[in-house]
Amino acid sequence: MDFEDEIFNDGLPKAYYKHNDQGQYVLETDAPWAEKVSVALIVSCNRSILEEIRKEVIAGQKSPLCYYMEMRQLEPGMLAKAAGIALFRVKRHFRPEVFAKLKPSVLDRYAKALRVTVEELKTVPDRKD
Amino acid sequence: MTTELAANGKPFVHNHGAHCETAVTSALFRHHGVNVSEPMVFGIGGGIFFGYLPFLKLTHLPISAFRGKPGSVFRKAAKRLGADFVTKKFRDPKKGTEELRRVLKTGQIVGLATNLYWLPYMSERHRWNFSGHNIIVVREIENGFRVSDPTIGDMVDCTVEGLEQARFVPGPLNPRGYMYYNKTINHHPDLRQACIKGMKDTCNLMLRIPLPIFGVRGIRFLAKKVMQSPDKLGFQEACRHLAGTVRWVEETGTGGAGFRYMYAAFIQEASELFGSEDLVRLTHDMTAIGDTWREFSVMSARIIKQRNRPEATFTNAGGLMLKCADLEEAFFRDLQKVVKKLKA
Repeated sequence: MDFEDEIFNDGLPKAYYKHNDQGQYVLETDAPWAEKVSVALIVSCNRSILEEIRKEVIAGQKSPLCYYMEMRQLEPGMLAKAAGIALFRVKRHFRPEVFAKLKPSVLDRYAKALRVTVEELKTVPDRKD
Repeated sequence: MTTELAANGKPFVHNHGAHCETAVTSALFRHHGVNVSEPMVFGIGGGIFFGYLPFLKLTHLPISAFRGKPGSVFRKAAKRLGADFVTKKFRDPKKGTEELRRVLKTGQIVGLATNLYWLPYMSERHRWNFSGHNIIVVREIENGFRVSDPTIGDMVDCTVEGLEQARFVPGPLNPRGYMYYNKTINHHPDLRQACIKGMKDTCNLMLRIPLPIFGVRGIRFLAKKVMQSPDKLGFQEACRHLAGTVRWVEETGTGGAGFRYMYAAFIQEASELFGSEDLVRLTHDMTAIGDTWREFSVMSARIIKQRNRPEATFTNAGGLMLKCADLEEAFFRDLQKVVKKLKA
């Protein structure tokens, strides 16, 4: 089975307006093919980006903060506002050696903004489930 | 379509709709005895729009919105139909949940703005960080709420924590527990007057905003970006951007072709309401525009799939978009003239 059908079988269908033979508009639940293709591409891209970041974190090039930011679909600017920490500091904390020395109070703010526990924030999951 | 009882024993009918905000507004009106369909709310609220926002990004992709600002359709439609809604926002999540419980006990159904990413019943393909998703809470159940989400076919249960997380998200996207419920309603709204107001508003929004990223000019702007994208970004990244655009056209609860089919349904209903031949003609025009947008998304999907069709290129996809822009400009100029002739 294609990846497109796989993700579109998951969850309830949405409704689409269709023009029927009598010239009336009716609601139907078949997703258009173009939508399936593009959504599948975006979902698979999101997954692969997340997986790449996870590998980089394990290799010690990025901090786990990067991973959780990507997981929650945030941009650095949004994360900075959510945690109440200046953007340049947030960007600095993407470096693993800086992140390792962070005070618990700062970690706490990130954990609240990203809705993960402080323990989780220090590492990345071993395998993406 | 399913029916359930609200907290005060009044039956609530759950209808499947295409778009969250219009369907929620229409369901609220219908629950209080005013029969307004979803396309009608969309047209009256002046929902159709275009805006390309390259400085706002979601999952590294720019936003191209095919509808007005979240919340504006509800606000405008309620005003034009003469209904008064109580709206509330909260700083404290606990207070937000308590207030929701209190209002539900009085027998009201409540509309909420939530974040799609955090709604627990959403599947992965719908989960993205967008804070303007509207749902209706019908009543409280044991450790949860009974939720009618019009974009999915059935009523669902949602836990208290899940709903609270979706209503209060840290950061700039916070919906702040935005909730609304009916205070007074006009049982015999002047639909004709409301339709005229909505159409005029729409024409102004599409044609007269003096910025290159909104309205018809915005479509042309994005078309040029699409044409240049393979040179500027590389093929893979350009595909991703194109897929992002197609997602805004077809997914995101547009009811197909970037709300254009829904708007055609509205014009069709309005033509029956006014008995106007001009509007019947405009219905066909709008359907043609919708078909062109659908053609654009199919063309884009072919590019993404690399089906080796010689005509499937970024230039042609951008060209189709330019065609849409031309058609839409002609359509809205025509609509402007037709609206002037309509009598309320």
